[in-house]
This record gives sequence, structure tokens and C-alpha cells, in this order.
Amino acid sequence: MSTTARRAPGIIPGRFQNWIGAVFEPYLYLGPAIILIALIMFVPLVIGISFAFQNYTLISSTGPSWTGLTNFEALIDDKRFWGAARNTLFWAVSSVSLQFFLGLGLALLLNRPFFGRRIVQALVLLPWAVPGFLTGLTWAWLFNPIIGPISHWMVALGLFEQPDNLLADPQNAMWGPVIANVWFGVPFFAVTLLAALQSIPDELYEAGAMDGASVWQSFTKITLPFLAPMIAITVLLRTIWVANFADLVYIMTGGGPANSTQILPTYIFTTAFRKLDFGYASAISVVLLLLLLLYAGILLRMRQTLVKI
Amino acid sequence: MATITLNNIAKNYGAVEVISGLDLDIFDGEFVVLVGPSGCGKSTLLRMIAGLESISGGDLVIDAERVNAKPPRDRDIAMVFQSYALYPHMNVERNMGFSMEIRKEKKSLKTDRVGKAATKLGLTPFLDRLPKALSGGQRQRVAMGRAIVRNPKAFLFDEPLSNLDAALRVGMRLEIARLHRELGTTMVYVTHDQVEAMTLADRIVVMNLGNIEQVGTPIELYEKPANLFVANFIGSPTMNIFDCSFANGGIILPNGTFLPLPAYAISDQQVSLGIRPEHIQIATNGPGQCQGEVEIVERLGSDTMIYTNVSGWGLLVTRLNGTMDIKIGDAIALAFDQPHIHLFNDTGAAIRVGV
Repeated sequence: MSTTARRAPGIIPGRFQNWIGAVFEPYLYLGPAIILIALIMFVPLVIGISFAFQNYTLISSTGPSWTGLTNFEALIDDKRFWGAARNTLFWAVSSVSLQFFLGLGLALLLNRPFFGRRIVQALVLLPWAVPGFLTGLTWAWLFNPIIGPISHWMVALGLFEQPDNLLADPQNAMWGPVIANVWFGVPFFAVTLLAALQSIPDELYEAGAMDGASVWQSFTKITLPFLAPMIAITVLLRTIWVANFADLVYIMTGGGPANSTQILPTYIFTTAFRKLDFGYASAISVVLLLLLLLYAGILLRMRQTLVKI
Repeated sequence: MATITLNNIAKNYGAVEVISGLDLDIFDGEFVVLVGPSGCGKSTLLRMIAGLESISGGDLVIDAERVNAKPPRDRDIAMVFQSYALYPHMNVERNMGFSMEIRKEKKSLKTDRVGKAATKLGLTPFLDRLPKALSGGQRQRVAMGRAIVRNPKAFLFDEPLSNLDAALRVGMRLEIARLHRELGTTMVYVTHDQVEAMTLADRIVVMNLGNIEQVGTPIELYEKPANLFVANFIGSPTMNIFDCSFANGGIILPNGTFLPLPAYAISDQQVSLGIRPEHIQIATNGPGQCQGEVEIVERLGSDTMIYTNVSGWGLLVTRLNGTMDIKIGDAIALAFDQPHIHLFNDTGAAIRVGV
């Protein structure tokens, strides 16, 4: 072998001729970015996680002290935590799947030529631009039988016996924030999937038509494989956002009635800022973080095996 | 195996007419090349045969059946696209067998047909690869393989070689010719490259502005162009064409020389004279038809192109066999091979001998 083949990558004649220099050179370039990220992300994260192992309540007279795994042990027996975890699962799965399927349908519609398509494409994005707080407030009013029409429509359709507030019914209250969240999140899927749809060359559909593919076959065998990378990444992102999204639920129901809409983010929020128990709130956060990391890992692994383009 | 008949075929985009009242008969097993400048409607016509473009008027008949309203998959026609249009997420084998996958045919039959097509095209070692891992020529082959596996009534090619480099293009051209010989299937081929047209076609259809200018064998088009457009389009370098005026029993060339052409019955006052570069010789004795100064010499090895500036006339191209000892600035006299002179009237139509 010649000497050039054994040279470390990055060695350029005239600079850092010794191997120590060559090993450290890349880190010098990366240094500023790493320091910045560490300062604004890792340091707060580590401090936040450290709360989980402390008895850290603002109202205690003694001040914070290290308590090991006490907070996590308390979680195991906390019925509200398990209820919130179940609700979070329902909240994330129903919101994301409804948003995804409606968004995909909308993207397919918007991908066909019709008069005024560009304007409609722009208008579709509007709900996404509305702050979550405002979305929650508006939908809460819409569900309220005194000022909103929805419960009266439900009676007219025969779905409700009398104009009750959906948000006051412990059995079904979760659907309120889910509906608001679907309205809010459909544009995200519609716009990202539309962008992916538009990147599919027309010729592939023409080749498919020549090969004899029906509309459904060209959707499943050409469109979906092309959308797969985008679907994987958007579903991943959206699930993480939705699982962390406390605003809507907090504004619309405050976790009630009777904790029936309590999800982990709202539970964390109330624990930290109502009960001022930062230690316990941090412990729940750590569990949520681990669950989401696990989810992301699984989805990224699936993406690797499924996506071939 | 199929005959394709185009009967008064038309295509409009709104008020814009891109193809108007076009008639063409393509015989069973024939290799027909549609050729013309870009925007002449040749690709649109091909896509109309394929069923990818709607037909605005007239009849498209395949094997005695009017197929205007049939979707592409019911026409039993395969198409090779300019961009190949391979499915990027499927390996070569699945790409080639996709039409059979769609029709849910037996796996063993599919493997067999794909295997045979792959052997024919030398693709057997690449069956597991994705299109992105193939070279341009291999992708082109896969696109053809996908068409072959279909065993269709007819093949359509839409400028299939224009994305390949020159050397590969020659190779693939020969391969397409071999394929046609082996399969004997009707093929319709669109190109703007006249070399492809001349070498592959049984018959060439020259198109311009949505109309057919001439249909004929390559040699017919070369020897007897029906009009100025075809004369200009076929042949490289292009035919020398210049305006002349008619005189008794002959024509007066731009430099005032009288050229007797008694075989022609010329009635127009203004005519265009066309002569191919290979039908002009350097006059060794006598003044020939014109004299001028050599301006450019292109030596191709097999041929030498001489561009002569004739005063009052312009540049005349001459093609001579082999290499010639001629320098820029040489004064030479040029003689025309009179049997190979083409005359066109003021509408551009060819004037035939004795007509």
C-alpha cells in the first residue's frame, strides 16, 4: 500500500502534518456549534432531569434535597399518572391517525387540478397558523351549549338527547380536544404530503397506466412507496408534538371532568405550576421523554426497513 | 402484432390546434419512425396512440377496433419513455414484471418471462438492483425489458436514446434494430435524430407543425423529398438550397449561369434548387456551375466538408470522400451532378422530372 492510502482523512498538505493535529482538527471546527448546543439544550436538560431525583417543592420549608428514586416509586402507585398515561395514548393515537388520514385525503384532493387551487392550497394552511390557545378557546365555546352551536346540531342529528356540553361528559370529553386538535393538525399533514405528492414524476403514473395499473393500484404501488419517507417523518414529528401538547386540553377542559381528559403534559403542568412540586413533575417528564424516545427509535427502525428510495 | 390506423386524427388544447386531420397507416410488424423538429406534435401523436393523451377528433384504429375511448391498459401497447420512468423503489426484476404483478399472474410465469427478457437484454446479473444503482444504458435496457415482458401488440418509443451519450446511443440503436428483427412486433418510434430515423425505420413519417410532410422509406425521403421542409430536414449536412429563376428549358443560377434542365417541365417563374453536399464535385476541367473561395474545411477522416463562398450566392457545402488537399482561401470551381438536382416551386413542393 502506498502512504497516501494510510493517511487519515482530512489531512491536507501543509496543515497539521502530525496525526494528533489531524485527529483534533475536525473538533475545532465543530467546537463552537457543540458549545452552543450544550449551553442552550443539554445543560437545562440535565438540570431538569436532576429535579426528578430531588425533593424539589417550592412550598417546602427545608429546600431541595436528593431523594434518589423516591419520585419514581411514587409514580408506580399514582392512579392519576396511569390514567393520564392511558389518556395520552388515546389522545396521541386518535389525534395523529385522524389528522394523518384526513390530511392525506386533503393532499390527494389538492393535488388534482381545479379552478382556484392555489388559493385553496394557501387557505388550507390557516388552522395551522392559529395559536393553540385560541384554537382551544374557540372550540370550547363551539361545544358550549349556551353560546356554541355544536351540541344543538348533535341534538338535531339525533346523536345527543339534549344539548349537553361534550366537554362535561367524563365518558366522551376527550373527543373535544381531539376534534380541535384534528382541525388544527390536518393542514400540517396536507401541506407536507402535498409537497411529497408533487415530487412524484407524472411519467411514473403514465408508465403505471401503460402497465395496466388501476387507480387504486397506482396509489398503493407508486404513490404510497414514494410518500413513505415523508409519512414516517411527519407521523414521528406530529406524534411527539401531540404527546407534548398541553395547551388544547388545558384550555378546553383543564384535565377534567374528574381527570377524564388529563394527559401527561397537562398533569406535568399542573403538578409543577399548581402544586409547585417540581421534583415529581420532572419525574413524569422523564418517563414521557423515555416513552417518546422508544417510540422514535421504533419508527426510525421501521422507516429503514420499509423505505427503499 | 397489430396494424395501427390513424384516420383524420386531431388534437386541440383549447383553441390551439397541435395536430390537424392526420392520416397514417402503420402495417403489421412495421418499424415506423416519427421525426420532426421539437414542437411538431410527434410526441403528442405517440401519446395519443398510447392513450395518455385524449384524441380530439378522428379515429384511432388498432387491429380493426376503434380505441379512441379505451384507457391505455386496454390497448395492449407498451411504451418506452425518454426518462425511462422506472419505478425507483422496485428492483429490476419487479420493474420488468410490474405489468404481470398488476394482472396478478402466476409467479412462476412471471419469473420465466422476466428471466427470458433479462437474458435477451443482458440484464440477468442486475435483477436484484434498484434503478439508482444502474448506468444510463442499463436503465434504458430495463425500460425496454419492461415493455418486452408485456408481449404487447405494439411498442411505442418516445425518444428513448436522447438521454444517452453518443457512443451508447449507437449501441442501443443497434440493439433496438435487433430487437425488432427478433420480435417482429409493430414499433412506433419518435425521435428528432435523423440518423436514428434513417437507420431504424422501415418507413419514416416527417412531421412539421402538426402535419405530415411526407411518409416514405428512408431512401425515398433522401432521394425524392416531397418538399423543401423534408429536403432540409433529412441529410447531414443539410442540402444546399437557393433561389433561382426559370428560363427556357432550364434555370438561371444566382450567379447568372444558365443551367439547362430539359427533363423538367417548369412553369413557375421562381424555383428553388436543391443539391446535396455529396452531389457537388470540384470541377477539374472547365468552370463547373460556379466558382468561389474555400472558407471552411472540416476533415472527418472518411469525408471532407468544404464550405465555399460563392459571390452573390452564399456558402455552398460540398462533401468529398476521403481527405482532400484543399486549404482555406483556395479558389475552386464546383460542378453539380445534374441527375441529383432537386427543384421546388414557390410553394415549396417538389417539381418532378417530366411533370
